[in-house]
Amino acid sequence: MRIRLLTLKFKKMKIVLTVIKKELLDTLRDKRTLISAILLPMLLIPVLMFGVTKMQSSLIKKEQTKDIKIALFQAPENFAYYFQEDNIEIVSGLDLEAAKTAIGNDSLDAVLEFEPDFQQKVDQMKTGTINLNYKTTEMMLFNRISAKVEAYKATVLQERVKQLNITSEAINPVVIQKTDMASSKERLGKMFGGILPYMFIIMCFFGCMYPALDLITGEKEKGTIETLLTVPASRFKILLGKVLTIALVGLFSALMIIFGLFISLKLFPDIPAEFLTAINGVISVNFLLMMFAMLIPLSIFFAGILSALVIRANSFKEAQSIVTPLSFVVLIPAMMAMLPGIELNWKTVWIPILNIALATKEIIAETIQMEHFIVIVISLVIIALLSVFFSHTQFSKESMVLK
Amino acid sequence: MIEVSNLVKTYTLTKQQKKELQTTAGSINAVNNINFTCTPGRVFSLLGPNGAGKTTTLRMIATILKPSSGNIKVSGHSVENQPDKVRRSIGFLTGSTNLYERLTPEEIVKYFADLHGISNANLKKRKEELFERLGINEFAKKRIGQMSTGMKQKVSIARSMIHDPSVVIFDEPTSGLDVITANSIIDLIRQCKNENKTVIFSSHIMSEVDLLCDDLAIIAKGNLVYSGSMDDYRQQSAGKSLTETFIDVVNANQVVNA
Repeated sequence: MRIRLLTLKFKKMKIVLTVIKKELLDTLRDKRTLISAILLPMLLIPVLMFGVTKMQSSLIKKEQTKDIKIALFQAPENFAYYFQEDNIEIVSGLDLEAAKTAIGNDSLDAVLEFEPDFQQKVDQMKTGTINLNYKTTEMMLFNRISAKVEAYKATVLQERVKQLNITSEAINPVVIQKTDMASSKERLGKMFGGILPYMFIIMCFFGCMYPALDLITGEKEKGTIETLLTVPASRFKILLGKVLTIALVGLFSALMIIFGLFISLKLFPDIPAEFLTAINGVISVNFLLMMFAMLIPLSIFFAGILSALVIRANSFKEAQSIVTPLSFVVLIPAMMAMLPGIELNWKTVWIPILNIALATKEIIAETIQMEHFIVIVISLVIIALLSVFFSHTQFSKESMVLK
Repeated sequence: MIEVSNLVKTYTLTKQQKKELQTTAGSINAVNNINFTCTPGRVFSLLGPNGAGKTTTLRMIATILKPSSGNIKVSGHSVENQPDKVRRSIGFLTGSTNLYERLTPEEIVKYFADLHGISNANLKKRKEELFERLGINEFAKKRIGQMSTGMKQKVSIARSMIHDPSVVIFDEPTSGLDVITANSIIDLIRQCKNENKTVIFSSHIMSEVDLLCDDLAIIAKGNLVYSGSMDDYRQQSAGKSLTETFIDVVNANQVVNA
């Protein structure tokens, strides 16, 4: 009896599996699906990481080694000595006003204007003032010039210490020593916590989007749906097979984000070792299980909503115009999670998409409360079922299914 | 066997559609109280100008659309109460049917066999038979996207005949096909007749109808304006060409309607 029931159950599921098998085969043979659902999410993190770190470091390097022109006015004789460097040119022969206008039109980068009795004050152990004229838009300029001035200051200080016959400690009474108490996981949570859940959600959505257009609207546009409606298999099972296929591709896209994270860890050897262990700790079995418990119903929810909406479209173009505004509806709560001050509590737990983003952050930081997590998963399962039901009601309408 | 009695399909019109049709009526009958019977071993032809309601009627027989009122029985089963049983006995093919571009004939035929719940042994036998007869074997592993219209049409035939239906429904099966390809459809219809299947096909090409059909019905603007055997029709058109008679019948009805 039990075996019969089981085989009966299997037979019931057989149609759904048949549809999933065919749709997966069909959709995975499509280059556009492969690119948008698999390649793109896989490369997203490596490209972002590579791009941002490379750009940042090359930008800083460029600014640090950029040739700059400066002019000194009434500087002490030995001062120019500190500015002897390949890419710093000291321009002479200008008067002060001309030099200042030269900064305005970018032919000069900085003007150091010493007060008239500068040398005298320094010699008398007083404070000498230098007026620095420059553009703050030149990012590294101040750092470069103040580094030179610091070197001059250090020499003067040394002389003074000698003259006064005191120790250098005497003029440096306090030192602060910093110890970072944030665990590397917490720091990582801060760094990736915002962007990672956002990527999961968005990629899951985009992953569902293309197959939904292909498997639902495509069937209508190409006129294959008519014959499909004349087969004895239940229409609900056919729809369910389609929705599950769409959800699978979406889920796979989200999975590809994690895979991309792995790739970038392997590709970029200059990631600090403690970070590496922290990331490896984050991508634990526990993390994956908890993520999937949320991503599975989420992807079914997306697949249900998308299929319900694109079924009314007669062409790809029409379907795209329906889906584009929807992507903003998904983007906004996902982005809200990146705002400071928005945290997972008994209010935000009920907002779909935002709750997943916030929970992902907390799972990474290992501060998630189980009650919150369970409520999120249950609410997601409910909206996933509702969306499939909604999709089915749309799919049952003659006016929706046929052109 | 197909028995159509008092069949009506009503569409409610949207504001936009009312404007397009220049009417104030809230709804329109695409099919208006139609009766006919198709019997096994005979070819039934549904004739009518574009927009007469041919496709709507055939879609209702094929359980794609639900009748607004009236009844259709296919092999004794009601399309409304036992659509699953009806679907098991019908094969449906239209001239505008497309196939999944990224699949091969093998995969498509297997998919539809599975959806019909055909056992693997049965599928193998039927597939070999159909592929052999239609000459699909040469391109059985090629993707549909790379095929000519003629090849695609053959695959469409194999797909709609894989479950050996006792009733076959063809909606303008030859439209848009060249003579050679259209001929494969005509052969198919003949063979179905020889196998004692019930065949219904819609068309507006008189020569095709003349060639194949045993019984015919003409519909115009959703109304049945002629129903009878082909022999009677030939007699009625005495002297005139069959096409002329067809045009006369349709026009006579339109005058009455106006």
